[in-house]
Amino acid sequence: MLSRSAQGVYWMARYLARAGYLSRLLELQVQFLVDRSVEEIHFGWKRIYRCMKRLPPPGEEFLPETDEFALADAFTLADDLTFERSNPDSVWSAVASGRENARQMRHCISGEMWTTLNAAWLRIRDLEAVDIWRTPEVFYARTRSEIHNFVGVADATMYRGVAWRFMRLGRAIERAQLAVSLLLAQIDLSRRTERRTLGWASMLRTHHALEAYGRVYGIDLKPDRVLDLLVADPSLPGSVLATVQAAATELQGLDGGPGVEADAAARRLAGRAEALILYDWPEASAPEELLEQVGQSTRDLHEAVLDAFVDYAIEDSPLR
Amino acid sequence: MDFSSYEFDPAIHDEMFVAEGEPRDHCSAVYEALKGLPDEDLNTIQERVTRSFSQEGITFTVYGDEEAEERIIPIDCVPRLLALAEWRELEAGLVQRIRTLNLFLADVYGDCRVVRDGVIPADVILGCPQYRLAMRGVGVPNDVWVTICGTDIVRTHEGFMVLEDNLRVPSGVSYMIANRKAVKAGLRLLYRRSRVQDVEQYGSLLRQTLCELSPGGRPDPCLVLLTPGTWNSAFYEHMFLAHEIGAELVEGQDLLVNDGFVYMRTTAGLRRVDVIYRRVDDDFLDPLVFREDSLLGVPGLMNAFKRGNVALANAPGTGVADDKSVYAYVPDMVRYYLGEEPLLQNVETHLCRRPEDLEYTLDNLEHLVVKRVGESGGYGMLVGPHSTPEERDEYARTLRADPADFISQPTLALSRSPCLIDGHAEPRHVDLRPFVLTGNETRIVPGAFCRVALRKGSLVVNSSQGGGGKDLWVVDL
Repeated sequence: MLSRSAQGVYWMARYLARAGYLSRLLELQVQFLVDRSVEEIHFGWKRIYRCMKRLPPPGEEFLPETDEFALADAFTLADDLTFERSNPDSVWSAVASGRENARQMRHCISGEMWTTLNAAWLRIRDLEAVDIWRTPEVFYARTRSEIHNFVGVADATMYRGVAWRFMRLGRAIERAQLAVSLLLAQIDLSRRTERRTLGWASMLRTHHALEAYGRVYGIDLKPDRVLDLLVADPSLPGSVLATVQAAATELQGLDGGPGVEADAAARRLAGRAEALILYDWPEASAPEELLEQVGQSTRDLHEAVLDAFVDYAIEDSPLR
Repeated sequence: MDFSSYEFDPAIHDEMFVAEGEPRDHCSAVYEALKGLPDEDLNTIQERVTRSFSQEGITFTVYGDEEAEERIIPIDCVPRLLALAEWRELEAGLVQRIRTLNLFLADVYGDCRVVRDGVIPADVILGCPQYRLAMRGVGVPNDVWVTICGTDIVRTHEGFMVLEDNLRVPSGVSYMIANRKAVKAGLRLLYRRSRVQDVEQYGSLLRQTLCELSPGGRPDPCLVLLTPGTWNSAFYEHMFLAHEIGAELVEGQDLLVNDGFVYMRTTAGLRRVDVIYRRVDDDFLDPLVFREDSLLGVPGLMNAFKRGNVALANAPGTGVADDKSVYAYVPDMVRYYLGEEPLLQNVETHLCRRPEDLEYTLDNLEHLVVKRVGESGGYGMLVGPHSTPEERDEYARTLRADPADFISQPTLALSRSPCLIDGHAEPRHVDLRPFVLTGNETRIVPGAFCRVALRKGSLVVNSSQGGGGKDLWVVDL
């Protein structure tokens, strides 16, 4: 497969995973606006911004904690995260970038995948925050569902070749990084509040893990158990372990890349991230440090994959 | 469909009618069926056809002042019909013409007999910016210079005429197929009953043709389609065709030349490339030979090509044969190379490089269409009857400054075909662009990208100038 095409499919999957994850975060956050305390609402915004490694627009510093302010600035914050064209990670920008990569790599994906994604794009292309603000959660739920739909259509129709592997790899790496980033934000922010359980239930809901938690631990919500589930349960599709394992599986499915050293590094990094959770997590005294290491491994993995398969030195490559 | 206010004009060839309310033989069944379709059904079909283009992302890119915009070529759901016998006639003319043009190209980059024998003046060829000195003495596989040709054909009462031979990187074939798929889905039963000739095998014919160019007959050659990139106006077509022929869609940055061979960068290492269907203009193909500031091409590509290690379709330098000045000599070329009379006529053309033609052009600007020799896509032209005196004065000044850069032709009464306009049938001017493939033999699918000037009275069919598309049905009725 052409290296640039593999890279395009990889980025398509990363952008769409990002758009889907952020839509889910915002879907829950705008629901909070209806019935949650100001403290909880502000906590949610801070967590999203921290997760996306972004600063809120100037003037939005979460200070005057009154109801009016919380409701008023929610619009600005949601707009910044959803439709802001200059924010490369906004839902709109991420869908646009995912769709643009798909457009350029249409010959590498199935026709059904393209039309599914293009239809989603045509729906949100001309929207602005005012258009969705009457029932914003409907917009976010639909966007998330369209991305789930795209993943399902890919599963049902895409040829299981190299492009498939790169697409799955991109999705797994993006989801791992976002999950780690959100968990780190949650750990840090919850330590700064007096309500120790603040935000943990919504962490479960973000990852569609509320039912799973009940099944494993019962109805008693304890932060360390939530953390365990979201980090180390291999049966939960959005857990950090499940996503790094998915990345390792896709990498194993690929023949060695022409960048031989980078290829070895990529396989080592994927194994390392998995091992950190499997063997070190149960006894970790500082979970955030271990999560930082996992996060760093996935960032290095991203670089190593591109060096191994895309940006390899020509001198290293066999001629076929 | 309401034909009651259809303005039949006996002065203009109508593709559907011989006289008011009297359809041509091969059109009568379709005419009756269309007439019987309720307006709302046809409007629904039209909407669905348009929507399908949007959903499928069948677009071309237009460059505005600020940013590029993806646009849809408007498509009219009423097909234009051609009888199979008419098509066979046209096809024979196209085959004759492409044989001639390939012989001309081999000659003009070889012995130049055509010049020595006084058929074409040397300065017409040497003065043509598309004449590539780098191609002098270069042989091409099977003597095929033009693998893919998209000939613009118009029809008047006098029959089919060639308006332009597009021999460099002709586009539009993807719309031929997209229009067919959309219209076929809308007019299902009518399509089935009309025994329409299939065009959707174009991709496999193109693949077969390209494979025949494989250097040294290497089996199972590696094909790639070289695109200038996603911002090219025809990018959708590049992507579509790459998929149809099972080729990788590459940009210049994906290819490299090593020891006289071309390779592409893949996830499994460098892979040798045998045939390049290039949609990049000559100028940008190889910065070592052509424009050195080109970032779209591949350094060393021409060297690999000259050594016979990679095939390029079309070969570099074919632009000299579709130059608008050289065009005027094609009928003479047919006689010269084949000893035959041309089956397809040219449009009468005045070369402004000749003083008497310049004078005639300047005296008759309000009746003529004047074009720049090197331009295409409807850019830089003057349509005399639709121009103002000020525009003509301005154009005359430019023309006098560099007469060799212009040709003029009479304003043709292009044939018209019924279109669905505001819920009823109205005639609009049309042309057609069939695609001619040449490998070991010449192959033409029975169909074309049919362009239509959707603005009432307009003669300009180019998609960049407000034209639209139509499906062309070659029917065996």
